[in-house]
Amino acid sequence: MLEIVIFGAVTSAIYAMLAVGFTLIFGVARILNLAHGSFYALGAYGAYVLTSIAGLPLVVATPLVVLGVALFGMGVERVLIRPMRKSQLAVLMISLAVALVVEQALFLIFGSEYRNVPSFVDTKLNIGGVDVAGQRLLTLVVAVAAIGALYAFIQRTRLGSAILAISQDPEAAQYMGIPSDRIFGVVMALSAGLAALAGIMAGPFLSVQPSMHLLPIVKAFAIVVVGGLGSIPGSIVAALMLGYAETLVAYGISTSWTEIVSVAATLLMLVLRPAGFFGKRAAF
Amino acid sequence: MFGHPISKRAFTQAAAAIAASAAMLPVMAQQAPIKIGLTTAVQLQVGRDTQDAARIAIDEVNAKGGVLGRKLSFVVADETENPETGINAIKKLTADEKVDVIVGGYTSGVTLAQLPHITSAKTIYLGVGAASPAITAKVKQDYETNKYIFRVGPINAAHQARSLTEWISGHLLGELGLKRIAIIGENAKWVQDLVPILRKGATEAGADVRFVELFDTSTSDFSPLLSKIRSSEAQFLVVILSHASSDVFAKQWYDARFPIPYGGIDVKSMDNDFFNRVGGKSISQLAANFAVRAPLTPKTQPFFDEFKKRTGRVPVYTAFGTYDAIHAYAQAVERAKSTDTNTVIKELEKTSMVGIAGQIEFDETHDVKAGGKFMNMLFVQWQANGERAVIWPKALRSGTMIMPPWLSK
Amino acid sequence: MQLKNIDRGGAVLAIAVLAILPLVFDSRYLIGVLTVAAIYGIWSVSWDFMSGLTGRENFGHSLFIGVGAYTAGFLNTVWSMNAWWSLPASVVMAVVFALIMGIPTLRLKGPYFALAMLSGAVIMQRLMLIFWEYTGGEEGINGIEPLIRSPLHFYWFVLAVLVVTTVVLVALARSRWGLILKAIRGDEATCQSAGLNVTFYKIASLVISAGVAGMGGALYAHYQLQVSPQLFAVVTSITIITMVYVGGMASIYGAIGGALLLTLMTELLRNFGEWRLMVYSVALILILFYLPQGLVAPTWERLRRSLSGGRS
Repeated sequence: MLEIVIFGAVTSAIYAMLAVGFTLIFGVARILNLAHGSFYALGAYGAYVLTSIAGLPLVVATPLVVLGVALFGMGVERVLIRPMRKSQLAVLMISLAVALVVEQALFLIFGSEYRNVPSFVDTKLNIGGVDVAGQRLLTLVVAVAAIGALYAFIQRTRLGSAILAISQDPEAAQYMGIPSDRIFGVVMALSAGLAALAGIMAGPFLSVQPSMHLLPIVKAFAIVVVGGLGSIPGSIVAALMLGYAETLVAYGISTSWTEIVSVAATLLMLVLRPAGFFGKRAAF
Repeated sequence: MFGHPISKRAFTQAAAAIAASAAMLPVMAQQAPIKIGLTTAVQLQVGRDTQDAARIAIDEVNAKGGVLGRKLSFVVADETENPETGINAIKKLTADEKVDVIVGGYTSGVTLAQLPHITSAKTIYLGVGAASPAITAKVKQDYETNKYIFRVGPINAAHQARSLTEWISGHLLGELGLKRIAIIGENAKWVQDLVPILRKGATEAGADVRFVELFDTSTSDFSPLLSKIRSSEAQFLVVILSHASSDVFAKQWYDARFPIPYGGIDVKSMDNDFFNRVGGKSISQLAANFAVRAPLTPKTQPFFDEFKKRTGRVPVYTAFGTYDAIHAYAQAVERAKSTDTNTVIKELEKTSMVGIAGQIEFDETHDVKAGGKFMNMLFVQWQANGERAVIWPKALRSGTMIMPPWLSK
Repeated sequence: MQLKNIDRGGAVLAIAVLAILPLVFDSRYLIGVLTVAAIYGIWSVSWDFMSGLTGRENFGHSLFIGVGAYTAGFLNTVWSMNAWWSLPASVVMAVVFALIMGIPTLRLKGPYFALAMLSGAVIMQRLMLIFWEYTGGEEGINGIEPLIRSPLHFYWFVLAVLVVTTVVLVALARSRWGLILKAIRGDEATCQSAGLNVTFYKIASLVISAGVAGMGGALYAHYQLQVSPQLFAVVTSITIITMVYVGGMASIYGAIGGALLLTLMTELLRNFGEWRLMVYSVALILILFYLPQGLVAPTWERLRRSLSGGRS
């Protein structure tokens, strides 16, 4: 059914934006960042604040929010995560703590009621008999563009090569004089910015409330594990798989089962093939 | 040796003064205020309005000298929408704050979890927000243990189902000629209680119920559901929502220019600023409300005005319940001439008081009566610019019903 | 490391204080708070035994807690069984789940094990919601009977369970068993090549940890008189981990101190109700940074050293 194809694509697009950032920071810096969902939440709330409270038009607010969250991500990496890098588990715990702090802060400032993030487009399109909100299609387009741009950035620029180098062999990269620490910060910023963008795009039609960071992080983690930690193409493929699996389940059975799909996929992958489909480094 | 002995006169005066003060002592001890414990979801509109309405009622009672010469005071405990937090709130109110009466409630599941803790603390509980009949059913099942529980508002889910049926029959079928309906609701206790009754009633009234589904309360993407509803060819979508993402639903319904109008029970839609929160996307939605600023009773309009004056907002349904509950309690204590729990319970059972939305009386399960001169359900529609008009019952109609903008062509 | 008399003395003193406190203050409220703290203590102690010793942080401890609690709930309401059956039943069910989850995942390292266990807990939470017709859904199971009617006696019972469990687990930790678990944390490969059945020890410790946690869950069910899917939530697991960190990882007894401190802190902050989780998260960050060894156990170590005149 055309409906499933279109909605599945939109869902996959959002997941891909989240997963790519998540896998990037892991592939490069070996950081499993559980605060990644918070960047998504901050993106949506940032758009809400700048448009509703500061009255800025959405086109202006968006780059500001993306930049702001990117800087926040960089700050978190520098101040909280870098000192803990000796223990992967400590990093995990501290990123989780950050996620909780952000959630509580949003809850305390904005309350638990849903907030309204405005859409870029308010029209409805009809594709082959299926009514689709314009904003959803725009999200799909933006996701493809953003991920494409990121990929091009990594493949074509010097900074991008440095990132690739570190992810392939951290020690060798260090010997070559590549400043790993600074690059981690940049990668974190990119990852956060991408997540924030996802929040701004999806905020208008998905829920915007303080605990909105939970589901995205669960999904992102599921995708990244299935696709293989550290592999961008793997994340994209897995995002498509998961996005469509969920859509099929939602339309075929019921929406209650969709959350289980991702979590079960994670668990199964971890148990059966911890390296994921495209992963180079296993979970061992 | 010790100077002047105390004269007999001085002694008498002193004795009189001491005696007078001693006589005053029990009176002064009685000045300790009667403590009301409010338990509600503090972060939500229903919670804020519960507190504000309580303040208004308490101020009114205190202005007239309080109850039995004692002032009323209140403390608030946050029960959120989570049973565990709710239980802790009750524990705090009963064991720590030692309140005389508890007023509040919102989520039926939380209230049900709180019940054993309330009854074991032998404290009167006046519910103002939770609709599940299971809450008061226990009163009849085991009176001695559960006699402390009362519901002042809203009318319970079974009554609400009947009101909905009347509306479907009289308005949707009778006036608009819409026969095919779909019913969806969040998967919460009160909805599980309500929907079967609604379905049966609507079918008996002649409606063709094409589709019924209860969805997970935390659902945020309604496209699959909307798609199924569309395929059912329903002409009207009846919703039963309270905790679910009404905001998101409204936005997605509007964004997709969904060809089916919707309405029903949508608690978040009762919020004054719901229309603005969703960027105007709830236009033409018909939502149930228990009172609007109309002369339902002599108390209705003064209350709305006072509430607006103090808070700048229009009250939601928990405000009515809270206001009525505190007045009912105050009156019961006055009649009982004591705060002894059992005596007050007996007087509460005899309550027949003018409330905000109707006459307040309790049935044999301590549940507030509904229909006729008692509380009723009104159907209010969001119209242009966030204006609201009462569409049903006909007797209270204040405007003409509109269709979703994209359907009125 | 021998258990000195000073350790025993300290323990007896602590237990006595905890037992007598509610009598001194005669407050039903305090009994409630202490009961909850004691139950969290049981959960924390069980977590520390497995995760603290082996270094395999289990982020899904709430799974065993929830399973134990729901077992108690079902037995008591749906099958109307006497409340005391909950205790052994909850242990059995928790052990079953420990085996189901543990066997496939224990070969995973660090964060992967953590997240695999977390996934298990999340799935259970979801299943409770999906099958709401049987499990009560969001609202869970209500109307569970209390185990012991008198709050004070129930508190003493829970305290007794906590003490006995801690003593047993500490004894295990100080025995050859504990030595092996710590060795596994250090270098699993070496242990394996030394001929130790590493898998057996890992699973056994998870099973013990789960059983105790499950029993704690049952106790909780008979205290709250209600169970809901919230018990399976990540927050529960995180709270417990925080308590263990505050108490001092791998000390086991420290976890009790952590549980007490944090539960009391929650109550004190109740006036700022919404701030509770914020405080937890900030506390966790601060502890990870400045007190990686925790607060309670290191403090006791220092105290004990100064009391015994520097000979430890």
